[in-house]
Amino acid sequence: MEKLTTEQIDKALHLLKMRPDSKLETHLNACVHCGLCAESCMYYKTLHDDRYMPARKVELVAALYRKYCTLIGRVAPFLVNARPLDEQMAEEMTDALFGACTMCGRCVKHCSIGVDIAYVVHFGRRMLAAMGLVPATLQATVDAALQTGNNMAIPTADFVDTIQWMEEDLQDECGSEARIPLNETDKNILYTLNPREPKFFPLSIAALAKIFFAAKESWTISTDMYDVTNYGLFSGNNEHAKSIAKRLHDEVFNKHCKILVLGECGHGSRANRWEGPNYLQHSYEFETITAVELINTYIREGRIKLDKSLNQELVTLHDPCNLVRNGGLESELRYTISQSVTHFKEMTPHGIDNFCCGGGGGQLAMSEYNERRIAIGKIKADQIRNTGAKVVVTPCHNCVDQLIQLNNIYKLNVKIKTIAEIVADALVLE
Amino acid sequence: MAELNFDGDGFLTNPEVWNDEVALQIAQADGIEMTDKHWAVVRVIRNNFNEKGNAPMIRTICKETGLKLKDIYELFPLGPARGACRVAGLPKPDGCV
Repeated sequence: MEKLTTEQIDKALHLLKMRPDSKLETHLNACVHCGLCAESCMYYKTLHDDRYMPARKVELVAALYRKYCTLIGRVAPFLVNARPLDEQMAEEMTDALFGACTMCGRCVKHCSIGVDIAYVVHFGRRMLAAMGLVPATLQATVDAALQTGNNMAIPTADFVDTIQWMEEDLQDECGSEARIPLNETDKNILYTLNPREPKFFPLSIAALAKIFFAAKESWTISTDMYDVTNYGLFSGNNEHAKSIAKRLHDEVFNKHCKILVLGECGHGSRANRWEGPNYLQHSYEFETITAVELINTYIREGRIKLDKSLNQELVTLHDPCNLVRNGGLESELRYTISQSVTHFKEMTPHGIDNFCCGGGGGQLAMSEYNERRIAIGKIKADQIRNTGAKVVVTPCHNCVDQLIQLNNIYKLNVKIKTIAEIVADALVLE
Repeated sequence: MAELNFDGDGFLTNPEVWNDEVALQIAQADGIEMTDKHWAVVRVIRNNFNEKGNAPMIRTICKETGLKLKDIYELFPLGPARGACRVAGLPKPDGCV
């Protein structure tokens, strides 16, 4: 790699020394090197490389902390494995923290003392981002969102054309009252999408619109800001993450809506619902919920009627890390599935102990580490195969894309659907 | 034939060297036997790329080829991006693809 400039190093160290972060300090000092995390990590399990043990990822940041923030690390670095921030260190950090972590958080649940390893990895990414070392493909996705308002740089006219196409299909099936309302104001719900839906996979938009129609919901999509994703969460640049989150926050006011509903996107839900208020430094003035919770509520309250005999094939569920392990929606998802399909089988393990699809943490966007992503995905492929399921349901478009690839490469011969799609297939319109 | 450069995902990083032979080579690696329908999809994507510098919407592909969404997903099991756009020699699109 190119030689680091003093300015780059200062920017990264500024983050480390900026202000006391008690959580960070605790977690950097708490690891007892028991090694239990190793077997919880898809990278270590697949590649058997010590550098990819979660504890070793924490150790990279901890070594810098000791060097620059402790007395003993400054005067006798060799005694405590304190290391300087140099090219060697930056390379190791980039490879391990960007290239070998999906930030799925499974290691956190397996840590004997509860070190928030994913939080430390994210902090390491922040230091790399401060030095301008975000992998180019990941940065390109952030830049597209910052510059155009959506991470695939879809022009508004193309977006509108696609939505109208889906609306025509919906009306063929449900009648002219079924609509996909664009840019309306004073609605109950402002709904959001992952840009890959309008760009390449729009059937999930029609499916959700059908559910909204059945529930007689008052809703709209804004053509100015509909992107639920926020790759600033993964790049480690909190300023970028903040400005993307703020745009969606502000759009709820622009359209005078009451509830922000986050489309089926794991990291987008996390970035807006759970991290958004931290980025903006204030709580949101309106309710923010995920599509998973909304659909769950419709079923529980009887606002939509389902006939699960309409879905006869054996279904399994992939739990997106950011919605289940990190978001707590395990039971909501299972209730929705139980009301929508006839035959269901869990993966082993599942729920909060589920394995990541392998495409999280920005991995899907980073071509640099494609081979590893596919290699670790074999764990997920084997999990799916062992259920014997014909359909895999998952409420995250990023997971869907990784699963499409795994399906192809590992020859699983399954169909992959979103929650909205499987629920729409079971809908009984009155 | 000019040298082909691929990124880690197998997308061409020098799309200007793409031609039909390259398309056949990428398709073959994916286990796809190119039919007239495959070529129709690839031509729409390539023309869009030449004119606008990016991948077309799936809407445009359907409209210009007359194919249904389901057909395109079946023709390219890896999807419009990792399947069709890659065969058409485009660089990897940004986002969750």
